[in-house]
Amino acid sequence: MACPILNRIRDLRAATGDMTQQALADRIGVTRQTVNAIELGKYSPSLEVAFRIARVFDTPIDSVFQFDERA
Amino acid sequence: MSFREKSAWVSFVTILAVFIPFFWNSYRQFQGAISGREAVGTAFTLLAAFVILEILLHVGLAIRAPKEARSPRDEREQLIDMRATRVAFYVLLVGAMASVGLVHVTSRAWVIQQVVLLAVVVAELVRFGGQILLFRRDA
Repeated sequence: MACPILNRIRDLRAATGDMTQQALADRIGVTRQTVNAIELGKYSPSLEVAFRIARVFDTPIDSVFQFDERA
Repeated sequence: MSFREKSAWVSFVTILAVFIPFFWNSYRQFQGAISGREAVGTAFTLLAAFVILEILLHVGLAIRAPKEARSPRDEREQLIDMRATRVAFYVLLVGAMASVGLVHVTSRAWVIQQVVLLAVVVAELVRFGGQILLFRRDA
């Protein structure tokens, strides 16, 4: 079931020198498969993981994640 | 496929591979096709094989992905584990209740023992199968 939270992680990875999913996973302490599930909207990360992701990209958390109003 | 998902597959397949023959062996003993001594020997051999297989296959997985094997479960893996375990618990509960009901049908302790063991095995299959389904759903 798709979660009601959209994200721009794939775009941010591409903008950060083509960071791989594995590289991002290593920096935030989850598996590559979890990063993939987050990007695909199949898993909503915890607040802690969401903040870690935002910190990796040095961007506010609401620039990384948006609530899907249609959901 | 992540290390945890591969681990779930290993356990699921190993349980099937060992406990299908195990319960077939028990059934044959129940039918009187084999002696109790032969059945017990086969049962212990299968249980030993189960332990050895689980250890060897998981060690093999860990050797191929040592960093993943040493890492603790991440939050998604923990959630998958909890969800699968919750469903498996209800399966085990039903099996336990069936075993209790069986006391009114038979006085043979061996039969009740086999039903309890079957409940545990089915619950474990549900647990690992549930983990696999949840891992695949998110892939």
